[in-house]
Amino acid sequence: MSELLDIDDLHLEFDTYDGVVKVLAGVNLKMRRGDVLGLVGETGCGKSMTALSVPRLIPMPPGRITAGRVTFDGEDILSKSESEMETFRARHVGMIFQDPVTNLNPLFTIREQLVDAVLYQRQGGQKTPGRWRGFLPSVKQMRKEAHERAVELIRLTGIPDGDKRIYDYPHQFSGGMRQRVLIAMALAGDPDLLIADEPTTALDVTIQAQILRLIRSLVAQLGLTVLLITHNLGVVARSCERVAVMYAGRVVEDSPVRDLFHNPKHPYTRGLMAAVPQKDVNRGGLHGIPGIIPNLINPPPGCRFNPRCEHVMGICRESVPPAIEVGAQHSASCFLYGQDA
Amino acid sequence: MNIRVYILRRIALIIPTLIGLSVLTFSIARIVPGDPVGLAAGPRATEEIKEALRREFGFDQPLPIQYVSYMAGLFRGDWGESLYTRRKVVSELRAFWPATLELTTAAVIIATLLGVPAGVISAMYRNRLPDHVARVLSLFFVSFPSFWLAMIFQTWFGRDLGLFPIGKRLPVLVSPPAPTTGLFLIDSLVQLDFETFLVSLRHLFIPALVLSFGAFASITRITRASMVEALEKDFVRMERAIGIPYRVIIFKYVLRNALIATITVISLNFGWLMAGAILIETIFDWPGLGLYAVHASLSLDFQPIMGIAILYGVVFSVVNILTDIVYGILDPRIRYG
Repeated sequence: MSELLDIDDLHLEFDTYDGVVKVLAGVNLKMRRGDVLGLVGETGCGKSMTALSVPRLIPMPPGRITAGRVTFDGEDILSKSESEMETFRARHVGMIFQDPVTNLNPLFTIREQLVDAVLYQRQGGQKTPGRWRGFLPSVKQMRKEAHERAVELIRLTGIPDGDKRIYDYPHQFSGGMRQRVLIAMALAGDPDLLIADEPTTALDVTIQAQILRLIRSLVAQLGLTVLLITHNLGVVARSCERVAVMYAGRVVEDSPVRDLFHNPKHPYTRGLMAAVPQKDVNRGGLHGIPGIIPNLINPPPGCRFNPRCEHVMGICRESVPPAIEVGAQHSASCFLYGQDA
Repeated sequence: MNIRVYILRRIALIIPTLIGLSVLTFSIARIVPGDPVGLAAGPRATEEIKEALRREFGFDQPLPIQYVSYMAGLFRGDWGESLYTRRKVVSELRAFWPATLELTTAAVIIATLLGVPAGVISAMYRNRLPDHVARVLSLFFVSFPSFWLAMIFQTWFGRDLGLFPIGKRLPVLVSPPAPTTGLFLIDSLVQLDFETFLVSLRHLFIPALVLSFGAFASITRITRASMVEALEKDFVRMERAIGIPYRVIIFKYVLRNALIATITVISLNFGWLMAGAILIETIFDWPGLGLYAVHASLSLDFQPIMGIAILYGVVFSVVNILTDIVYGILDPRIRYG
């Protein structure tokens, strides 16, 4: 089966006053239709930037893609014009973000925003007849259908009394409800891929569980393809089938979820697993990975994890380890598992 | 809270404002040193004549009583009369005020129609050529004194090019439209007198344009700043991510967020322009309230000063209410808050 999304050797740099930050240094990521992929890593490792490169929402400048390809359903994303991208975003990608409070426009009713989402996603980001032309039968019909779809979406995301609450403003909703609204907006045009960038980080723990359950049930109901970005391994364990671990601008390990938790290969992933506190095992306090994440203006040569790695070898400081097959659909970018791909 | 309740509450707030304003103006006008009666009666008036004048205008009464009787008159429509012209303040205001209102309103409209799009374009093309042009223009207009620009425009457009008249509201030989509102543009339209409408529009254009420059600059700057701020908001990225076209995001979703600050500046400008119109009125021989107000203040002509203050106070309050109502329409959080 061919890939829905193929990010190949993506390099991204940001110009800052302190110098050029090499944010992404050769990210490889493949997703097939129906995949639910978790993308995990520490703050600043490039998870969000990888995700934003798909709908091409990275601010450029100061951002700059220096190498690599992003292919979606056979189409090259990076060579599209901005207006082609508007169509692409409307038709193929839905995205939800971290903070549901700031991600809804406070001055418009949920209905207004949701109906627009439906209309523009159906029209592929092209011009839609404005509300002032609502007296035309065709426009009236179009808006009526969009309204019905909006109500359907709001029911789908489990907002009680959705058909009435749709007339409310964002500030009349709680954080969890707003995230449901944002999910409804992202799904308005049946996107091929839903990108969820830390969708539960800003929510209370109980609400987090509800939102994750909602995403899981939507996956089951609609057969969604989801790229779920998080720094929370628990979220990944509960929601994803596959997981990609990122460190300092690279994917270091890519594996089915069970494999990753039972048999982590990359030293960084092992460190992460060891750092997760477990209730039954007393290991004498919390464990962390020694050292700090590298400065991405002057990243360490070779494997970017080498200054913190307990298995570091000479070659780690000289060249970048390729992704090496270490199990069924399981790869790790580490010279411990061989010198060549 | 319902929008109607919100509006009613805003209107109710005018009353204390106006009471405060009247007490303050009344006290200041009566406490400043100087003897209005002496000024009015002339240098050779005897003490008896001055005394008679004082009694006639009620200046011999204690101040609180004067205030109460003044306010009572105000509500009866008797705003007193000028010590100098000996004419009713009400009829003088009625004669001069519409000219100033027309000029100021036109200036605010011009400034808004030019300033908001200029600000939006500036923000859309931030730090690129259109932005630089808009910023230089607004800095240019705000830096030149308006009376100087007024004379330059008068010379260019009026004398050299002959495109526009150099002053007054109408040519001497054209009779003004029958006064319903006193605003020539509206009165002539109501009577379907399009010829007078066009003539008075041509007279109005240059003074209003010059008067609008300062307001144009500040409206452009605040619109640009608040658009830039709003464009940085998370919801803009969300709207782009789900496929809303950038155009729609700018003109529908972001502009509304930015307009709240702009509305504030527009309403403030309306007040400043009313007060600042006097220079323009003088240069263009525009028969407005400005000259009348200055003359009244310099000669301590008490009743006109009070009348003008009350009138301006009411106008400010109305502008404020309109602003608040627009806030409420634009931002549901204010309406329900």
